[in-house]
Amino acid sequence: MVSRETTAMRWMTDRGICIAAGASTLALYQRLSAAGLPGVRELVPADGMLLVVLEPGRAPPPELEALAADLPGPQVLPVASTRQHRIKVRFAGEDLPEVAARAGLDTDGLIGLMCEQTLRVQFLGFQPGFAYLGGLPPLLHLPRRAKPRTSVPAGSLALAGGYCGIYPAAGPGGWHLLGIAETGLFDPAADPPARLQPGDTVRLVAA
Amino acid sequence: MIDVVRAGRLDLVMDLGRPGFRAQGVPEGGAADATALALANRLVGNAEGAAGIELLLRGPRLRFPEGGTIALTGADMLARCNGESVARGHAWAIPAGGELELGTADKGLRAWLAVAGGIETPPVMGSRSTFLPGGLGGWQGRALRAGDRLPLGLAAHCRAGVLGFDESDDALRILPGPQLPGFADAALKRLSDCAFRVSADANRLGLRLSGATLDYAGGELASQAVLPGAIQVPPDGNPIILGWDGPVTGGYPVIAGIIAADLHRLAQLRPGDALRFAFVTRDEAQAAWRRLQASLDGAIAWTD
Repeated sequence: MVSRETTAMRWMTDRGICIAAGASTLALYQRLSAAGLPGVRELVPADGMLLVVLEPGRAPPPELEALAADLPGPQVLPVASTRQHRIKVRFAGEDLPEVAARAGLDTDGLIGLMCEQTLRVQFLGFQPGFAYLGGLPPLLHLPRRAKPRTSVPAGSLALAGGYCGIYPAAGPGGWHLLGIAETGLFDPAADPPARLQPGDTVRLVAA
Repeated sequence: MIDVVRAGRLDLVMDLGRPGFRAQGVPEGGAADATALALANRLVGNAEGAAGIELLLRGPRLRFPEGGTIALTGADMLARCNGESVARGHAWAIPAGGELELGTADKGLRAWLAVAGGIETPPVMGSRSTFLPGGLGGWQGRALRAGDRLPLGLAAHCRAGVLGFDESDDALRILPGPQLPGFADAALKRLSDCAFRVSADANRLGLRLSGATLDYAGGELASQAVLPGAIQVPPDGNPIILGWDGPVTGGYPVIAGIIAADLHRLAQLRPGDALRFAFVTRDEAQAAWRRLQASLDGAIAWTD
Protein backbone atom coordinates (compact mmCIF):
# COMPACT_ATOMS: atom_id res chain seq x y z
CA MET A 1 0.00 0.00 0.00
CA VAL A 2 1.34 3.43 -0.94
CA SER A 3 0.27 6.43 1.09
CA ARG A 4 1.71 9.03 -1.35
CA GLU A 5 2.53 11.50 1.39
CA THR A 6 3.66 14.74 -0.12
CA THR A 7 7.26 15.40 0.80
CA ALA A 8 8.85 18.81 0.99
CA MET A 9 12.57 19.52 1.07
CA ARG A 10 14.17 22.44 2.85
CA TRP A 11 17.76 23.28 3.73
CA MET A 12 19.21 23.22 7.24
CA THR A 13 22.30 25.48 6.96
CA ASP A 14 24.19 24.46 3.79
CA ARG A 15 25.03 21.03 5.20
CA GLY A 16 21.66 19.33 5.41
CA ILE A 17 18.36 18.81 3.67
CA CYS A 18 15.20 18.33 5.76
CA ILE A 19 12.61 16.15 4.14
CA ALA A 20 9.10 16.30 5.62
CA ALA A 21 7.88 12.73 5.31
CA GLY A 22 5.23 12.56 8.04
CA ALA A 23 4.36 9.04 9.14
CA SER A 24 6.64 7.64 6.42
CA THR A 25 9.81 9.10 7.98
CA LEU A 26 11.11 5.72 9.15
CA ALA A 27 10.38 4.16 5.78
CA LEU A 28 12.34 6.97 4.10
CA TYR A 29 15.20 6.57 6.61
CA GLN A 30 15.42 2.86 5.80
CA ARG A 31 15.15 3.42 2.07
CA LEU A 32 17.91 6.05 2.01
CA SER A 33 20.11 4.01 4.40
CA ALA A 34 19.89 1.09 1.99
CA ALA A 35 20.60 3.34 -1.04
CA GLY A 36 24.05 4.40 0.29
CA LEU A 37 24.02 7.69 -1.61
CA PRO A 38 27.37 9.33 -2.45
CA GLY A 39 28.06 12.61 -0.68
CA VAL A 40 25.71 11.76 2.20
CA ARG A 41 27.41 11.82 5.62
CA GLU A 42 24.51 10.87 7.89
CA LEU A 43 20.77 10.32 7.93
CA VAL A 44 18.91 11.57 10.99
CA PRO A 45 15.24 10.75 11.49
CA ALA A 46 13.08 12.90 13.78
CA ASP A 47 9.39 13.61 14.30
CA GLY A 48 7.94 13.44 10.77
CA MET A 49 11.18 14.77 9.29
CA LEU A 50 14.39 13.24 8.03
CA LEU A 51 17.62 15.21 7.84
CA VAL A 52 20.10 14.24 5.14
CA VAL A 53 23.50 15.52 6.29
CA LEU A 54 25.84 16.11 3.34
CA GLU A 55 29.62 15.83 3.27
CA PRO A 56 31.12 19.35 3.40
CA GLY A 57 31.02 21.06 0.02
CA ARG A 58 28.91 18.35 -1.61
CA ALA A 59 25.72 18.98 -3.54
CA PRO A 60 22.69 16.83 -2.73
CA PRO A 61 22.65 13.59 -4.71
CA PRO A 62 20.40 13.91 -7.76
CA GLU A 63 18.57 10.68 -6.88
CA LEU A 64 17.33 12.13 -3.59
CA GLU A 65 14.11 13.61 -4.92
CA ALA A 66 13.03 10.42 -6.68
CA LEU A 67 13.86 8.31 -3.61
CA ALA A 68 11.81 10.62 -1.38
CA ALA A 69 8.72 10.28 -3.59
CA ASP A 70 6.03 7.58 -3.36
CA LEU A 71 6.95 6.45 0.12
CA PRO A 72 5.37 3.36 1.52
CA GLY A 73 3.14 3.96 4.55
CA PRO A 74 4.40 3.42 8.07
CA GLN A 75 3.11 -0.14 8.22
CA VAL A 76 5.37 -1.43 5.44
CA LEU A 77 8.65 -1.41 7.33
CA PRO A 78 11.19 -3.96 6.30
CA VAL A 79 11.53 -6.10 9.43
CA ALA A 80 14.94 -7.67 8.78
CA SER A 81 16.90 -4.82 10.34
CA THR A 82 14.61 -4.23 13.30
CA ARG A 83 14.53 -5.95 16.68
CA GLN A 84 11.97 -6.56 19.39
CA HIS A 85 12.78 -5.59 22.97
CA ARG A 86 11.05 -6.37 26.26
CA ILE A 87 11.96 -3.85 28.93
CA LYS A 88 11.19 -4.31 32.62
CA VAL A 89 9.77 -1.29 34.38
CA ARG A 90 9.06 -0.62 38.04
CA PHE A 91 5.95 1.55 37.70
CA ALA A 92 6.31 3.86 40.70
CA GLY A 93 6.97 7.21 39.02
CA GLU A 94 6.03 10.47 40.71
CA ASP A 95 3.56 11.42 38.00
CA LEU A 96 1.90 8.00 37.64
CA PRO A 97 -1.28 8.93 39.63
CA GLU A 98 -1.66 12.25 37.80
CA VAL A 99 -1.22 10.72 34.34
CA ALA A 100 -3.69 7.96 35.23
CA ALA A 101 -6.22 10.55 36.42
CA ARG A 102 -5.83 12.63 33.26
CA ALA A 103 -6.42 9.52 31.17
CA GLY A 104 -9.48 8.59 33.27
CA LEU A 105 -7.83 5.43 34.63
CA ASP A 106 -6.57 4.14 37.93
CA THR A 107 -2.84 3.43 38.21
CA ASP A 108 -3.25 -0.32 37.58
CA GLY A 109 -5.29 0.49 34.50
CA LEU A 110 -2.57 2.83 33.24
CA ILE A 111 0.16 0.24 33.86
CA GLY A 112 -1.90 -2.38 32.03
CA LEU A 113 -2.45 -0.04 29.10
CA MET A 114 1.27 0.86 28.87
CA CYS A 115 2.23 -2.82 28.88
CA GLU A 116 -0.21 -3.88 26.21
CA GLN A 117 1.12 -1.44 23.57
CA THR A 118 3.63 -2.41 20.92
CA LEU A 119 5.76 0.73 20.92
CA ARG A 120 8.04 1.58 18.02
CA VAL A 121 11.29 3.57 18.11
CA GLN A 122 10.69 6.53 15.81
CA PHE A 123 14.00 8.34 16.32
CA LEU A 124 16.70 9.13 18.88
CA GLY A 125 17.73 12.50 20.24
CA PHE A 126 17.88 14.70 23.33
CA GLN A 127 20.47 12.44 25.04
CA PRO A 128 22.78 9.73 23.65
CA GLY A 129 20.58 6.65 23.33
CA PHE A 130 17.27 8.41 24.17
CA ALA A 131 14.66 6.75 21.94
CA TYR A 132 11.33 8.40 21.14
CA LEU A 133 8.78 5.56 21.31
CA GLY A 134 5.61 6.03 19.29
CA GLY A 135 2.41 4.03 19.39
CA LEU A 136 0.73 5.37 22.53
CA PRO A 137 -3.07 5.51 22.46
CA PRO A 138 -4.43 9.08 22.07
CA LEU A 139 -5.65 9.26 25.68
CA LEU A 140 -1.98 9.18 26.74
CA HIS A 141 -0.95 12.06 24.48
CA LEU A 142 -0.19 14.72 27.09
CA PRO A 143 1.73 17.99 26.70
CA ARG A 144 5.07 18.41 28.50
CA ARG A 145 5.02 19.46 32.15
CA ALA A 146 4.70 23.24 32.52
CA LYS A 147 7.85 23.23 34.64
CA PRO A 148 10.62 20.81 33.68
CA ARG A 149 12.47 19.03 36.48
CA THR A 150 16.11 20.00 36.79
CA SER A 151 17.10 16.37 37.32
CA VAL A 152 15.44 13.11 36.43
CA PRO A 153 17.09 9.81 37.47
CA ALA A 154 18.71 7.53 34.89
CA GLY A 155 16.29 4.87 33.67
CA SER A 156 13.19 7.06 34.13
CA LEU A 157 10.31 6.01 31.89
CA ALA A 158 8.38 9.13 30.97
CA LEU A 159 5.85 10.34 28.44
CA ALA A 160 4.88 13.59 26.69
CA GLY A 161 3.91 14.92 23.29
CA GLY A 162 2.58 11.60 22.04
CA TYR A 163 5.83 9.76 22.82
CA CYS A 164 7.29 7.85 25.71
CA GLY A 165 10.97 7.29 26.36
CA ILE A 166 13.55 6.10 28.85
CA TYR A 167 16.31 8.48 29.99
CA PRO A 168 19.62 6.58 29.54
CA ALA A 169 21.38 9.00 31.89
CA ALA A 170 20.29 11.40 34.62
CA GLY A 171 19.53 14.92 33.43
CA PRO A 172 16.88 17.62 33.19
CA GLY A 173 13.50 16.45 31.95
CA GLY A 174 10.08 17.90 31.17
CA TRP A 175 8.16 14.67 30.64
CA HIS A 176 5.76 12.91 33.05
CA LEU A 177 7.54 10.23 35.08
CA LEU A 178 5.86 6.82 35.16
CA GLY A 179 8.57 4.60 36.59
CA ILE A 180 12.12 3.30 36.43
CA ALA A 181 13.18 0.94 33.67
CA GLU A 182 16.24 -1.24 33.50
CA THR A 183 19.16 0.80 32.16
CA GLY A 184 22.05 -0.09 29.86
CA LEU A 185 20.47 1.76 26.93
CA PHE A 186 23.70 3.36 25.76
CA ASP A 187 27.16 1.81 25.58
CA PRO A 188 29.82 3.71 23.62
CA ALA A 189 31.75 0.45 23.13
CA ALA A 190 28.78 -1.35 21.51
CA ASP A 191 27.94 -1.28 17.81
CA PRO A 192 25.55 0.44 17.48
CA PRO A 193 25.98 2.24 20.82
CA ALA A 194 22.25 2.74 21.43
CA ARG A 195 20.32 -0.41 22.36
CA LEU A 196 17.08 0.90 20.84
CA GLN A 197 17.34 1.65 17.11
CA PRO A 198 14.85 3.42 14.82
CA GLY A 199 12.25 0.89 13.72
CA ASP A 200 12.74 -1.45 16.70
CA THR A 201 9.67 -2.41 18.73
CA VAL A 202 9.41 -2.29 22.51
CA ARG A 203 7.04 -4.02 24.92
CA LEU A 204 7.09 -2.81 28.53
CA VAL A 205 6.84 -5.44 31.26
CA ALA A 206 5.79 -4.47 34.79
CA ALA A 207 8.49 -5.65 37.20
CA MET B 1 53.51 12.24 27.44
CA ILE B 2 52.22 15.53 28.78
CA ASP B 3 51.65 16.33 32.45
CA VAL B 4 49.00 18.88 33.30
CA VAL B 5 50.65 21.07 35.96
CA ARG B 6 47.79 23.58 36.08
CA ALA B 7 44.55 23.27 34.14
CA GLY B 8 43.24 26.13 32.02
CA ARG B 9 39.66 27.40 32.01
CA LEU B 10 38.40 24.43 29.92
CA ASP B 11 40.98 22.21 28.21
CA LEU B 12 39.35 19.56 26.02
CA VAL B 13 41.04 16.84 23.97
CA MET B 14 39.61 17.24 20.45
CA ASP B 15 40.05 15.82 16.99
CA LEU B 16 37.90 16.48 13.94
CA GLY B 17 34.80 14.89 15.48
CA ARG B 18 32.62 11.83 15.62
CA PRO B 19 30.46 11.67 12.50
CA GLY B 20 27.96 8.87 11.99
CA PHE B 21 26.20 8.76 15.37
CA ARG B 22 23.56 11.47 15.15
CA ALA B 23 20.86 8.83 14.73
CA GLN B 24 22.10 7.41 18.09
CA GLY B 25 21.54 10.80 19.74
CA VAL B 26 25.24 11.79 19.65
CA PRO B 27 26.31 14.97 17.81
CA GLU B 28 29.44 15.10 15.66
CA GLY B 29 31.29 17.52 17.94
CA GLY B 30 35.02 17.90 17.37
CA ALA B 31 37.23 21.01 17.33
CA ALA B 32 35.14 24.18 17.18
CA ASP B 33 37.47 25.36 14.41
CA ALA B 34 38.40 22.24 12.48
CA THR B 35 40.65 24.24 10.17
CA ALA B 36 42.65 25.69 13.06
CA LEU B 37 43.26 22.24 14.54
CA ALA B 38 44.11 20.74 11.14
CA LEU B 39 46.66 23.50 10.46
CA ALA B 40 48.24 23.13 13.91
CA ASN B 41 48.60 19.43 13.18
CA ARG B 42 50.22 20.12 9.81
CA LEU B 43 52.76 22.38 11.47
CA VAL B 44 53.96 19.59 13.75
CA GLY B 45 53.93 16.90 11.04
CA ASN B 46 50.73 15.15 12.20
CA ALA B 47 47.83 13.93 10.12
CA GLU B 48 45.16 16.66 10.13
CA GLY B 49 42.79 14.53 12.20
CA ALA B 50 45.23 13.88 15.07
CA ALA B 51 43.89 14.85 18.50
CA GLY B 52 45.07 18.08 20.08
CA ILE B 53 43.75 20.21 22.93
CA GLU B 54 41.11 22.89 22.56
CA LEU B 55 41.72 25.72 25.01
CA LEU B 56 39.23 28.32 26.24
CA LEU B 57 40.14 31.88 27.25
CA ARG B 58 42.94 30.91 29.66
CA GLY B 59 45.28 28.11 28.79
CA PRO B 60 46.94 25.52 31.06
CA ARG B 61 50.52 24.96 32.22
CA LEU B 62 51.86 21.73 30.71
CA ARG B 63 55.09 19.83 31.32
CA PHE B 64 56.76 17.67 28.67
CA PRO B 65 58.93 15.13 30.59
CA GLU B 66 60.37 13.76 27.35
CA GLY B 67 60.11 17.01 25.39
CA GLY B 68 57.97 17.47 22.31
CA THR B 69 57.14 19.68 19.37
CA ILE B 70 54.04 21.83 19.61
CA ALA B 71 52.12 24.38 17.55
CA LEU B 72 49.34 26.77 18.59
CA THR B 73 46.57 28.20 16.45
CA GLY B 74 43.45 30.24 17.17
CA ALA B 75 43.37 32.98 19.82
CA ASP B 76 46.73 34.23 21.13
CA MET B 77 47.11 33.00 24.73
CA LEU B 78 50.59 34.51 25.12
CA ALA B 79 52.38 31.18 25.42
CA ARG B 80 55.80 30.98 27.04
CA CYS B 81 58.27 28.13 27.32
CA ASN B 82 61.20 28.27 29.76
CA GLY B 83 61.07 32.06 29.78
CA GLU B 84 60.76 32.51 26.02
CA SER B 85 57.69 33.73 24.21
CA VAL B 86 56.14 31.13 21.84
CA ALA B 87 54.38 32.70 18.87
CA ARG B 88 51.30 31.16 17.31
CA GLY B 89 51.42 29.51 13.93
CA HIS B 90 54.71 27.66 13.87
CA ALA B 91 56.30 24.56 15.34
CA TRP B 92 58.21 24.98 18.60
CA ALA B 93 60.49 22.38 20.15
CA ILE B 94 60.14 21.95 23.91
CA PRO B 95 63.17 20.31 25.57
CA ALA B 96 62.82 17.32 27.90
CA GLY B 97 61.33 18.53 31.17
CA GLY B 98 60.30 21.81 29.58
CA GLU B 99 57.06 23.58 30.48
CA LEU B 100 54.59 25.40 28.28
CA GLU B 101 52.73 28.14 30.13
CA LEU B 102 49.68 29.65 28.52
CA GLY B 103 48.06 32.87 29.64
CA THR B 104 44.75 34.56 28.94
CA ALA B 105 43.67 35.61 25.45
CA ASP B 106 42.87 39.31 25.19
CA LYS B 107 41.14 38.80 21.87
CA GLY B 108 39.17 35.80 20.68
CA LEU B 109 38.23 32.87 22.91
CA ARG B 110 39.63 29.50 21.78
CA ALA B 111 43.04 28.17 20.79
CA TRP B 112 44.24 24.75 19.62
CA LEU B 113 47.41 23.04 20.72
CA ALA B 114 48.82 20.32 18.50
CA VAL B 115 51.64 18.09 19.70
CA ALA B 116 53.83 16.04 17.38
CA GLY B 117 52.52 12.47 17.52
CA GLY B 118 49.05 13.58 18.62
CA ILE B 119 47.28 13.01 21.94
CA GLU B 120 46.63 9.27 22.04
CA THR B 121 43.75 8.84 24.44
CA PRO B 122 41.56 5.82 23.61
CA PRO B 123 39.14 6.62 20.77
CA VAL B 124 35.45 6.35 21.68
CA MET B 125 33.02 5.71 18.82
CA GLY B 126 35.83 6.38 16.36
CA SER B 127 36.97 9.71 17.80
CA ARG B 128 39.09 11.18 20.58
CA SER B 129 36.93 14.30 20.84
CA THR B 130 35.58 15.09 24.28
CA PHE B 131 31.77 15.18 24.40
CA LEU B 132 31.09 16.76 27.79
CA PRO B 133 27.28 16.35 27.92
CA GLY B 134 27.66 12.58 27.45
CA GLY B 135 30.88 12.32 29.48
CA LEU B 136 32.59 10.42 26.68
CA GLY B 137 35.74 10.65 24.57
CA GLY B 138 38.81 12.79 25.21
CA TRP B 139 40.51 12.29 28.54
CA GLN B 140 38.01 10.28 30.65
CA GLY B 141 35.12 12.17 29.10
CA ARG B 142 35.99 15.40 30.93
CA ALA B 143 38.09 18.57 30.83
CA LEU B 144 41.74 18.24 31.87
CA ARG B 145 42.74 18.68 35.51
CA ALA B 146 46.07 19.20 37.25
CA GLY B 147 47.77 15.82 37.65
CA ASP B 148 46.44 14.30 34.39
CA ARG B 149 49.09 12.58 32.26
CA LEU B 150 48.26 12.42 28.54
CA PRO B 151 49.81 9.78 26.28
CA LEU B 152 51.38 10.89 22.99
CA GLY B 153 51.79 9.01 19.72
CA LEU B 154 54.96 8.72 17.71
CA ALA B 155 56.09 11.98 16.15
CA ALA B 156 56.74 12.15 12.41
CA HIS B 157 59.15 14.46 10.61
CA CYS B 158 58.11 18.05 11.00
CA ARG B 159 58.76 20.76 8.40
CA ALA B 160 59.45 24.40 9.20
CA GLY B 161 56.68 26.78 8.27
CA VAL B 162 54.69 29.80 9.42
CA LEU B 163 50.92 30.14 9.42
CA GLY B 164 49.24 33.44 8.66
CA PHE B 165 46.06 34.45 10.51
CA ASP B 166 43.05 35.97 8.88
CA GLU B 167 40.58 37.22 11.46
CA SER B 168 37.44 38.58 9.86
CA ASP B 169 34.87 40.74 11.64
CA ASP B 170 32.41 40.62 8.75
CA ALA B 171 28.80 39.63 9.22
CA LEU B 172 28.22 35.90 9.60
CA ARG B 173 26.79 34.62 6.33
CA ILE B 174 23.46 32.83 6.60
CA LEU B 175 20.97 30.95 4.46
CA PRO B 176 17.21 30.67 5.04
CA GLY B 177 16.28 27.90 7.47
CA PRO B 178 13.44 25.38 7.18
CA GLN B 179 10.98 27.45 9.27
CA LEU B 180 11.83 30.85 7.76
CA PRO B 181 8.39 31.08 6.07
CA GLY B 182 6.79 31.08 9.56
CA PHE B 183 8.52 34.34 10.50
CA ALA B 184 7.10 37.75 9.62
CA ASP B 185 9.03 40.06 7.29
CA ALA B 186 9.81 42.27 10.29
CA ALA B 187 11.64 39.39 11.98
CA LEU B 188 13.71 38.71 8.85
CA LYS B 189 14.57 42.39 8.60
CA ARG B 190 15.68 42.42 12.23
CA LEU B 191 17.80 39.34 11.71
CA SER B 192 19.73 40.96 8.88
CA ASP B 193 19.71 44.60 10.13
CA CYS B 194 20.24 44.39 13.89
CA ALA B 195 23.44 43.89 15.82
CA PHE B 196 23.15 40.96 18.22
CA ARG B 197 25.22 40.27 21.29
CA VAL B 198 26.49 36.96 22.60
CA SER B 199 24.95 36.43 26.05
CA ALA B 200 26.68 34.82 29.04
CA ASP B 201 24.90 31.59 28.09
CA ALA B 202 27.36 30.55 25.36
CA ASN B 203 29.31 27.31 25.16
CA ARG B 204 29.91 24.34 22.85
CA LEU B 205 26.19 23.48 22.97
CA GLY B 206 25.02 26.82 21.71
CA LEU B 207 25.27 30.59 21.86
CA ARG B 208 22.24 32.46 23.14
CA LEU B 209 22.00 35.95 21.65
CA SER B 210 20.34 39.18 22.71
CA GLY B 211 19.68 42.40 20.85
CA ALA B 212 16.43 41.82 19.00
CA THR B 213 13.58 39.37 19.36
CA LEU B 214 12.18 37.44 16.42
CA ASP B 215 8.52 36.50 16.53
CA TYR B 216 7.47 33.16 15.10
CA ALA B 217 3.87 32.74 13.94
CA GLY B 218 4.17 29.27 12.46
CA GLY B 219 2.51 27.37 15.30
CA GLU B 220 3.56 24.24 17.18
CA LEU B 221 6.53 22.42 15.72
CA ALA B 222 7.53 18.77 16.01
CA SER B 223 11.12 17.77 16.81
CA GLN B 224 13.40 18.00 13.81
CA ALA B 225 17.04 17.05 13.38
CA VAL B 226 19.26 20.13 13.53
CA LEU B 227 22.89 21.00 12.76
CA PRO B 228 25.58 23.25 14.28
CA GLY B 229 25.11 26.79 12.99
CA ALA B 230 21.31 26.51 12.86
CA ILE B 231 19.69 29.62 14.37
CA GLN B 232 16.80 28.46 16.57
CA VAL B 233 14.21 30.81 17.98
CA PRO B 234 12.65 29.76 21.32
CA PRO B 235 9.34 31.31 22.47
CA ASP B 236 11.06 34.34 24.08
CA GLY B 237 12.26 35.37 20.60
CA ASN B 238 15.98 35.62 21.47
CA PRO B 239 17.84 33.48 18.91
CA ILE B 240 20.19 30.65 19.82
CA ILE B 241 22.96 29.54 17.45
CA LEU B 242 23.43 25.80 17.90
CA GLY B 243 27.01 24.81 18.69
CA TRP B 244 29.24 21.83 17.92
CA ASP B 245 27.95 19.68 20.80
CA GLY B 246 24.35 20.87 20.51
CA PRO B 247 21.49 18.36 20.58
CA VAL B 248 20.85 16.38 17.40
CA THR B 249 17.13 17.19 17.50
CA GLY B 250 15.30 20.32 18.52
CA GLY B 251 11.74 21.54 18.78
CA TYR B 252 12.24 25.27 18.13
CA PRO B 253 11.81 26.85 14.69
CA VAL B 254 15.03 27.40 12.72
CA ILE B 255 14.92 30.79 11.00
CA ALA B 256 18.31 30.57 9.27
CA GLY B 257 21.61 28.75 9.31
CA ILE B 258 25.24 29.89 9.27
CA ILE B 259 27.10 28.67 6.19
CA ALA B 260 29.73 25.96 6.68
CA ALA B 261 32.53 28.33 5.63
CA ASP B 262 31.73 30.70 8.55
CA LEU B 263 30.93 28.20 11.30
CA HIS B 264 34.48 28.25 12.71
CA ARG B 265 34.19 31.97 13.43
CA LEU B 266 31.71 31.21 16.22
CA ALA B 267 34.60 29.61 18.11
CA GLN B 268 36.11 33.04 18.84
CA LEU B 269 32.96 34.84 20.02
CA ARG B 270 32.89 35.78 23.68
CA PRO B 271 29.94 36.77 25.84
CA GLY B 272 29.32 40.46 25.13
CA ASP B 273 30.73 40.37 21.60
CA ALA B 274 28.60 41.91 18.86
CA LEU B 275 27.72 40.09 15.69
CA ARG B 276 25.67 40.62 12.57
CA PHE B 277 24.12 38.31 10.03
CA ALA B 278 23.93 38.68 6.25
CA PHE B 279 21.83 36.50 3.96
CA VAL B 280 23.72 35.04 1.01
CA THR B 281 22.71 32.71 -1.81
CA ARG B 282 23.42 28.99 -1.94
CA ASP B 283 25.92 29.63 -4.76
CA GLU B 284 27.75 32.18 -2.61
CA ALA B 285 27.84 29.70 0.27
CA GLN B 286 29.34 27.03 -1.97
CA ALA B 287 31.91 29.44 -3.41
CA ALA B 288 32.87 30.53 0.14
CA TRP B 289 33.41 26.89 1.13
CA ARG B 290 35.62 26.28 -1.93
CA ARG B 291 37.62 29.44 -1.16
CA LEU B 292 38.12 28.35 2.45
CA GLN B 293 39.38 24.93 1.37
CA ALA B 294 41.66 26.44 -1.28
CA SER B 295 43.09 28.92 1.25
CA LEU B 296 44.18 26.05 3.50
CA ASP B 297 46.68 24.82 0.95
CA GLY B 298 48.52 28.12 0.97
CA ALA B 299 47.91 28.95 4.64
CA ILE B 300 51.32 27.76 5.78
CA ALA B 301 54.41 29.31 4.20
CA TRP B 302 56.94 26.47 4.36
CA THR B 303 60.44 27.77 4.96
CA ASP B 304 62.55 24.63 4.61
